[in-house]
This record gives sequence, structure tokens and C-alpha cells, in this order.
Amino acid sequence: MNIQFESILPYLLTGFYYTALLTVGGLALGFAIGATLAFAETYLPRPASTVASGAEQVLRGIPLIVVFFLVYFGLPYVGIVLSPTVAAALGLGLRSGGYQSQIFRGALESIGVGQVEAALSIGMSKSSAYREVLLPQAIRLSIPAWSNEFTVVLKDTSMAYAIGVAELLKQAANIVALTLQPLEIYAIVAAIYFIATLVVSRTMNTAYEKWKIPGLGGGAR
Amino acid sequence: MEIVDVLLNYWPMLLQGFEITLILAAAGFLLGFAIGIPIALAETYGSRLVRWLAIGYVELIRGTPMLVQIFLIYYALPQFGIRFDAITAAILGLGINSGAYQAEYFRGSIKSIPSGQMDAALSVGMKLTQAIFSVILPQSLRLVVPAWTNEIVYLVQYSSVAYLVTVVELTAVGGIVGVRTFQYVAIYSIIALIYLATTIAITTATRRIELRYAIPGFASSKTFRI
Amino acid sequence: MTDYLLRVEDVHKNLGGKEILKGASLNMHKGDTKVIIGPSGAGKSTLLRCINLLMRPDSGRIFLDDEEITGKHVNLSLVRSEIGFVFQHFNLFMHLTALDNVKLGLVKVKKLSGQEAESNAARALRDVGIQDTLFRNYPAQLSGGQQQRVAIARAIAMEPKIILLDEPTSALDPELIGEVLRVMEHLAQSRTTMLAVTHEIGFAKNVADEIVFMDNGAVLETGTPADLLANPKHERTQRFLGKITELYGVKRTGA
Repeated sequence: MNIQFESILPYLLTGFYYTALLTVGGLALGFAIGATLAFAETYLPRPASTVASGAEQVLRGIPLIVVFFLVYFGLPYVGIVLSPTVAAALGLGLRSGGYQSQIFRGALESIGVGQVEAALSIGMSKSSAYREVLLPQAIRLSIPAWSNEFTVVLKDTSMAYAIGVAELLKQAANIVALTLQPLEIYAIVAAIYFIATLVVSRTMNTAYEKWKIPGLGGGAR
Repeated sequence: MEIVDVLLNYWPMLLQGFEITLILAAAGFLLGFAIGIPIALAETYGSRLVRWLAIGYVELIRGTPMLVQIFLIYYALPQFGIRFDAITAAILGLGINSGAYQAEYFRGSIKSIPSGQMDAALSVGMKLTQAIFSVILPQSLRLVVPAWTNEIVYLVQYSSVAYLVTVVELTAVGGIVGVRTFQYVAIYSIIALIYLATTIAITTATRRIELRYAIPGFASSKTFRI
Repeated sequence: MTDYLLRVEDVHKNLGGKEILKGASLNMHKGDTKVIIGPSGAGKSTLLRCINLLMRPDSGRIFLDDEEITGKHVNLSLVRSEIGFVFQHFNLFMHLTALDNVKLGLVKVKKLSGQEAESNAARALRDVGIQDTLFRNYPAQLSGGQQQRVAIARAIAMEPKIILLDEPTSALDPELIGEVLRVMEHLAQSRTTMLAVTHEIGFAKNVADEIVFMDNGAVLETGTPADLLANPKHERTQRFLGKITELYGVKRTGA
């Protein structure tokens, strides 16, 4: 079992770079989509809330690989040609948006409507109430489930393999094609993912411990 | 319209692919169930070493992508002379992965049963194994149903990774038809709709089952795939 | 020009297809303490929420200090800041300390400086019996009685013209009800204008200027505690009083 680390390291680093890129891009887009959908579903009247709910269901009901293909092949029809990497980030963001919406909705629901009523009752405007009362709590309550979503997106970047993005798994497959050592290479890559998810969950855990609302538990865990 | 054309011409292939998808999901789920319960019991009631091994398994599986796990099974095991065909490898991958998550759901539901139940069972004179199977498991299985819905839906969706190890399931049909007709958007839209419809069908069906078998007054746990 | 602080005229409100308020009317002078009683579904909470404009009446008019607050171009925030509201389930801001809960409105709505807000908030908290040591506690770290008293402090710190209380003790464990009632009685005795929905007949007897009996979406009967409790005029009032004296053990006849 001899592996020439020096030669494979650059590939792995490039792969990890793309993996990280996809993860951050996907999460950020997912956050924007998820927060919007969650807000719309909880606080807007119909038809906006039903449309948002439908969108959430659709985003959560389609496998990631299919989303990748739809984005990658579909957007050129509308005149947008994307590189596989951007298409993958977009696909990850869409899927994550559906799941983050569910997370934020759960947080909003567990906060309940009473505190917003109380804020209105002392004369705060609706936007002020959302900003000062709802948002700080929604963010804190979402952290546990959100840190889970972080690791899910991180792992799902491996599926960008399907559209040829040069992320970690694709690099691994390339290396294996050259060195013919699938066990060692894939095991190393598995270890890299493992360490990455470990670091992410530990960091988010510490953040949660620091920021959680005293006396209350977190959201879904 | 291209979509209708594609649908009319290729529905047999789509059906076949869909069949494979369902087989993958179902087999993966059952394998996961068979693995998950023992692991959950090991984590809750086992000795220190057993617990440590079980937790190690769960952490390892949940900390690495499913695709990597399947690659290891399909491409790496042959190095040791263990060769699986694509479908078996996919089912093994799905099942081993699902097992880790199902173990956590079971463990969660077992934990949420008040300790008084076990106390009462032991006080009546039952042995540990009897108590587990007659009192704890029946209750925890009902609590787990919502999480199961999620898990089956996940497996139906994640079965698409089998495409990347050459299994001709539903997503693979997209590639085949796409290459022939260049109607990529049409075929993948149809495939997306099939997945979506299946997801909705499963969630509504399991909700009915949940309601039917609910123990009156018993809370159900809402879980995400953690 | 009347000298009523609050005038509620013939308010109707429909909720989810059902008419909850069917022409409720009510008047209050400054300094009055009135208690609304009645069976559940009578529309008591709904009426309160219409007064502080959490809900808008479908028809009817409400005047605060002779200004119609049910008009079209009313500044909702301003009106609400002049009406204090205490909820059955406290509704404290869970992510803020007790002190910050009371400060928030002062800073964000009344635009007081941080220092002024803090001293006003501290004073309000001490007025309801919350000691300084609890100021930095979060709601989840306080008992139900303490939480409700902080909620009352939050309302009075805004120096409102009138305070509405919606079953303020109904969500409290029995042994904690007393501390909140004492605060309410103290408020009433210092001539704060208060309108409370409650089942605590003892409180009504002790400090209320008038008891208002609501049933089926409207005010059926009003009277001083002495009059109403001893000689209710309507049969429905009698029946309701009969049921709750059974529950709360308050003697109807005699002292």
C-alpha cells in the first residue's frame, strides 16, 4: 500500500477547494431562498404562502443529480450558459433552499405569534418587531438543524461528479484512473470528508453553546 | 410539444428505470432497518466496547458522503477479491448508509420513552431482552414513523447516485434518452416530476398510516435526517 | 366633548366565519378599574384585542381620549404605545433579559436614550416587585409569576393611558396567582385606568369600580361589584355567577 502523497496532493487540494466553493455557494444561496420561503409561508397571506409552500415541496422532492441536470441543460434554453461549477452551486443552493426553509419554518413556529403580538402592543412597527424580536430568536433556534444542513451540503457536493465538476470525488476518480489504487484513494478522500464534517459540526456546536438563548433548548436536533 | 413526444416514445424505459429506483429504495430501506435496530440497541443497552463500536459506525457513515461509500464498495472491494454487481453494490451502499441514520432515529425514539416504562417492565419480572421487545420497541417503533417517511423519501431520491455506478435506474434513463434525442430538459423534467409525485405519494400515505396506528395521546417526534 | 377616556361603540367582529362580537359597547373614565367576566366564547379577549388594535373591528367605533382610533388613517404604532396590554401567556421576549424586555419599547418606540430607558425600566420592574438581582435573568429563568410581573412592568413603563389585561392569571400555577393579583390591585389603587378580563372575582370585589358581564358577543349587564354579584338582573348572569362561585368558592350573598 504505497501512496505517493506528493503527486496526488495537488489534485486533492484542488478538489477540496472546489468542494469548499460549492459548499459555501450552495449554503449561501440556500439561505437566501430558505429564509424567503419560510417567511412567506409563515407570515404572508395566500396565495403567496401556498406558492412558497409548493416551491419548498418541489425543491425537496427532486434528487440533487436531477436538479443538476435540469440546471445545466435547462438554463442554456433561457440564454444562460453556466460552467458546471456554477450550475452545481446553483443546484445545491436550490435543494438546500428547500430544506433550510423547513428549518427556519420550524424555528419561526416554535417562537410563536405571541411575542410579535406583544411587540406590536407596545407600539413597535411590524418590521421592527420582526427585526428585534423574531429574527434574533429564529437564527439562534435554527443553529442545530442548520449545522446539520451544512454537513449535508458538504457531502452532497460529491454528486457534482455527475456533471464533471472538479470537486474532491472527481479528483479522486481521476487519481484512481492513474494509480489503480481505489481503496487507498477513496479511503483518503472519505477521511478528508469526515474530518471536514467533524470540524464543521464542532465549530457550529461551540457557536450554538455561546449564542443560545439561556433557559431554552434549540430547535430540532 | 417535446415533453409529450418524449413521454409517449419512452415511457416503457421510464417505467423500467422507475422500477429499479423503487427496488433500490425499498431494498436499501429494509437493509437499513435490519442494520439500524441492532445498532440502536447496541448504542442504548450495550457494554462500553459494543457502544463504542456502534457509535463509531454511525459517526463514520454519517460523516462521509454516500457516493464515496458506494464507490468504495463497488470499486475498492474488488482489490480484496470481493466483487459486487452494480445493483447489489448500490443496495449495499444505500442500506449501510440508511442503517446509520435509522439507528439514530431509533435511538432517539427509545430515549424519548420515559425510563419509568423500563422500570415497570423490570419490576414485573421481565428480563432485559423481554422488556426491550415487549415494551420499549413497540412504543419506539410508532414514534419513529415520521422519521421513516423522511428516510424512505431520502432513499428514493438518493437512489439516483446508483446512476454514477452504472445502474440503470430512473435518472440513468435521462442520460440515455438525452443522448438519443437531445431533449435533455424534456426528459429530465419528466423524471423530476416522477420523483416529485413519488415523494408526495409516500408522504401522504405514511401520514395516513401514522394516524391509523397512533397510540392515543402519544406524541410523535418530528425529525430531520441528522 | 365627553370626559370618557375610552369609548367603545357597538363593535362587531367576525372571526373565521363566526360573528364573535355582536355590538359590544363600553365606556371608561380615567382612573376607572373595570373587570370583564363572562363565559368562554363571549368575545372578551376579542374585545380587548380590538381596543388595542391587534384586531380591527368590522364595524363600530372606538375612541381613546375622544380621538377615534378605528378611523382610516390612524397611526397604529402610536395608538398601541398608549395602550398597555398584558397577555395571558406573558409573551415576554425570550431572547432578552427582564430589564431589556422592559427597555425595548422605551428605546425603540419612545426613543428614549439608553440611560433614561434603563432607569425607567428599572423603576417599573421594582414597582412590580422584581428585585434588581433578577434584572439580568432571561424569561426562561423566571417563574410564571415573575414573568407576568415583568410583562406588567413592560406595559406600565410605556406610561400608557390605559392598561388592558387579558386573563393575566389564567396561565399561572395557583400559588403564583397571588403575587400578580397584588400588583394588579396596587395598580388599581394608584388610579391606573385598567380594563381586565379575569375570573378572579376576589380581585373584582376588592378594587373594581364596575364589573362588566359579557355573553354572546355583547355586554349584557354592568354594575358595581356589590350590586352585580349580589343581585344580578339577568338570568344568564345569575347562571354564570352560580357556576363560578362553585368553582372559586366566593360567597354570593352576605359580606
